[in-house]
Amino acid sequence: MAFTGDFFCNSFKQELFEKLHDLKTTGDSFKIALYDNTATLTAATTAYTVSGELAASGNYTTTGQALTVAANPTLDTGTAICDFDDEVFATATFTAYGALIYNDTAAGDPALVVLDFGGAKTATAGDFTIQFPAAAAATAIIRIA
Amino acid sequence: MRGQVAKMEVGHVSVQTTSGRGLSPEEWAEMCLQKIVYVGDQAIPAIRDQALAYRQEIKTVLVSYMTKAIKSDRTTLYNLLLKQGHKDMADILLKL
Repeated sequence: MAFTGDFFCNSFKQELFEKLHDLKTTGDSFKIALYDNTATLTAATTAYTVSGELAASGNYTTTGQALTVAANPTLDTGTAICDFDDEVFATATFTAYGALIYNDTAAGDPALVVLDFGGAKTATAGDFTIQFPAAAAATAIIRIA
Repeated sequence: MRGQVAKMEVGHVSVQTTSGRGLSPEEWAEMCLQKIVYVGDQAIPAIRDQALAYRQEIKTVLVSYMTKAIKSDRTTLYNLLLKQGHKDMADILLKL
C-alpha cells in the first residue's frame, strides 16, 4: 500500500491532552524515519514502526535521523504552529516515498504526523533534503487552528 | 450557543534530492528563503510584488555569503590537511 496523504496521527491528538509531547526547543527529542511504498502509514498510525522503513543502507540508518525543533510553538493569527529545521540525509543513496515524525523521548516512540512525499524521491550519492514549510498559520508543518 | 471547532492540520513538506553532488548555494538559498520570507497567495498584489522583490534581493545576498562560507571552510580544511601532511589532498580541495 502506498502513501495516501499527509496525516495528523489520531493518537497524537489524544496525547496532546495527556501532556505526552513537549514541542519546545528544550523539550522532547523527535526523529524522522523514511519509508518505501510498502509502508501503511495513516492517521491510525500510533507509533514508529519498522514495517516499510528503508533498509539500513546508502547512508540511511534505521529509526531515522533526529529533528531539530526550529522554534518554540507560537501563535500566528490565532493558529498554534510548530516548526522543524529542514533535514538533510547527506551522501544518500536511496529512494523514499514518505516519512513518519515520532517522539523519541516518550516511551513507545509515539507518532506525530505522517508525511507523503507525493511519489518516489531518489538521491544517488547526494543530499536527500526534507524541506519543512514556512512556519505560518496556513502552511506550518503542525498547526491547530 | 455554538462552540468553536478547532482544526488540526499537517503542512506539506517538499523533498530536494541530488545525484553525485550536494546542494548548491542557490538551492540552499531558495530553501532558506521559504523560511524567511513567506508570501501568501492571498496577498495584495502591490505588497506581494514588493515582497517578491525583497525576496530576490535577500537571495542574492544569501548566495553570496554562502559561497564565501564554503570558500572559508575550504581554507580551514586546506590548512588542516596541510598541517597533517596531506598536501595532495589539500591541493585537491583548493582546485574545487
